[in-house]
Amino acid sequence: MTTLHVLSHSPFGDNRLASCLRLLGNADAVLLTGDAVYALQPGSEPRRQLSERRLATRLFALEEDLQARAIDPAGLALAIDYPAFVELSIRFDKVNSWL
Amino acid sequence: MKFAIAVFSPAHAPSSRRALLFAQAALAGGHEIVRLFFYQDGVHSASGNIVTPQDEQDVPAQWREFVTQHGLDAVVCIAAALRRGVLDEQEAQRYQRTAVNLPAPWELSGLGQLHEAAQVADRLVCFGGN
Repeated sequence: MTTLHVLSHSPFGDNRLASCLRLLGNADAVLLTGDAVYALQPGSEPRRQLSERRLATRLFALEEDLQARAIDPAGLALAIDYPAFVELSIRFDKVNSWL
Repeated sequence: MKFAIAVFSPAHAPSSRRALLFAQAALAGGHEIVRLFFYQDGVHSASGNIVTPQDEQDVPAQWREFVTQHGLDAVVCIAAALRRGVLDEQEAQRYQRTAVNLPAPWELSGLGQLHEAAQVADRLVCFGGN
């Protein structure tokens, strides 16, 4: 059973990202949306934590949310659009939104 | 693929618009939406009284148009709506309130509708936050 974890809160305001990474299964993926894309801010602690997990092709971010915040995923996360978001939600067995 | 989509945020939150764009992309991709469920502050996304500033996207109007255009089953949680003052004609009369702000195509119903949608759909996708 694989899960796509969808985050939408800033990693600087609460522990959702840390909790998510603690629960993340080996075949699970993370999608950063809204303020959660701030986790990719260069030089930040959340970005360091994400890099450490070596998620490679299992870390995604919504492209328009990156653009709106001028965040460059710079090789760490794959920027996706909404049709790709829909495809991701199908590729994984469940979608868990960290509301 | 059958989707159930639950919205937990009001129309002025970016996540309400994200839910709308996801729903549009799902239909455009040939998928089916078995139900949209508006819960907690998400009930405000269905309010007919929202006035959006002219230089901003009118997300509540876009939701209404999307639901109407595709004839979708759009359910607003009745308990969450009542406590937030989102009332249809029947509830406004029942509780003797002067204002009605939940016109068609929205429908007030219970949380059981979310449970049922989750059983019927292949995927339940929830939207909330910022």
